[in-house]
Amino acid sequence: RVSSDGKPPKFQPPPKPVIIDKKTQKEERRFLSPEFIPPRGRTDPLKYYIERKDMIQRRKVLNIPEFYVGSVLAVTTADPYASNKSNRFVGICIQRGGKGLGATFVLRNVIEDQGVEICYELYSPRIQAIEVLKLEKRLDENLMYLRDALPEYSTFDVNMKPVSPMDQEEIPVNKLQVRMKPKPWSKRWERPKYNIKGIKFELPEHKMKAAQKWSQPWLEFDMLREYDTSKIEEKIWKELSEEREK
Amino acid sequence: MMPIWTKSGEKRAVTLLKVQDCHVLRYVSKEESGGKTAKLLVGGKNGSPFSKPESAHEIFKEAGVPPKQKVTTFNVTDDAIIKPGTPLYAAHFRPGQFVDVTAKTIGKGFQGVMKRWGFKGQPASHGQTKTHRRPGAISTNKAAKVYRGKKMPGKMGNIYRTSFGLKVWRINTKHDIIYVNGSVPGHTNCLVKVRDSKLPTYKDCNKNPPFPTFFADGDEELPEDLFDEEIFQFTDPSVTYA
Repeated sequence: RVSSDGKPPKFQPPPKPVIIDKKTQKEERRFLSPEFIPPRGRTDPLKYYIERKDMIQRRKVLNIPEFYVGSVLAVTTADPYASNKSNRFVGICIQRGGKGLGATFVLRNVIEDQGVEICYELYSPRIQAIEVLKLEKRLDENLMYLRDALPEYSTFDVNMKPVSPMDQEEIPVNKLQVRMKPKPWSKRWERPKYNIKGIKFELPEHKMKAAQKWSQPWLEFDMLREYDTSKIEEKIWKELSEEREK
Repeated sequence: MMPIWTKSGEKRAVTLLKVQDCHVLRYVSKEESGGKTAKLLVGGKNGSPFSKPESAHEIFKEAGVPPKQKVTTFNVTDDAIIKPGTPLYAAHFRPGQFVDVTAKTIGKGFQGVMKRWGFKGQPASHGQTKTHRRPGAISTNKAAKVYRGKKMPGKMGNIYRTSFGLKVWRINTKHDIIYVNGSVPGHTNCLVKVRDSKLPTYKDCNKNPPFPTFFADGDEELPEDLFDEEIFQFTDPSVTYA
């Protein structure tokens, strides 16, 4: 470059590096476990408050990580009949049920060609550790159809290494479409009441159309069924952060 | 209702009962009541004064207490008499004690014989004409009458029933909540009477109960939560089998 004076150009300092503090950005994503949200009903909120205090006490002792239906977990429980007195089971979470202290999750795996499903209680004192080997979401919230899918979709290596998260803001959604065994299935998964998006239906067109006969299109417009949990979640989040500071 | 775990890792179901504004209303002596023991009238939850007639307000005015929704009697020995107007708290009971719980069962309305009494009914097919849930025969030929108390359709539920011998697992003194083993008659948030168990197996189970009752302004300072010995407290580490 030739400047107007003939002297070398004025020293331009390099642009200041913009420090994006990833830690503060990551804190914005809050996960409230679904069993904290009380169901709709006529019970006194005091009961849920007391249950939440017990749940927080237990979480202080045992770390219950964030996980969703579709993530692969490894759970070690105390077992009086096993050598070493402890039992480790690896599986994909197919369902999370229950509210409060009775919250459960079902893990599924195929071990030596035998499908095994175990329903664990999150707050049971026999659970010694819960690790998330792979944190991801699937297209549905209930993966019970894996029972009628080909066994390759439910097999997970028992000695799998934990896959570290990508440190992104959002949890990866696995858009896998699962192939099924031939009919009959345990439930008619093609019917609209199950609203399943994660199956690759290889049924003929007329059967898919016949299944739409059982659709109830008025349900999504029914206002009495709406349960807005945003304000309840805010209150519970404040309560939890206060308790955690104590 | 809530789950609870023991120290050996077993799960039990537990019902939460809240003691809400209970006061002793009146003392009725043995001669006055005509029974074997003296009685104490106890009132439960505070209610609106407009739902009861003026004549019912006298008891509450005497004791100096707001009108209550429910009034029950407890048979009491002479050394356990309490002055009317004293409040009663959940700390009156201790964990490890056994308790009887009385309440009105959920009303089911007019019900048929299969639901009300558990009759088997008749088969669904194989030639049954219009007879699937009927009682069938109601008496024999020789009796020539129907006995009193024959089980027939009628109004079911909404009557007082008691669950006996329920163990108290935990007491929360701050919110006055009693955790009682198993289920209890009545719907959620219904009024319930809790009494020391009268079963002969649990006659000597209570070691040092607060006698005659737990007084809040006394010297005793109780912790917020009282647990039974066998219960797993969430502050302990996870259960392991050695």
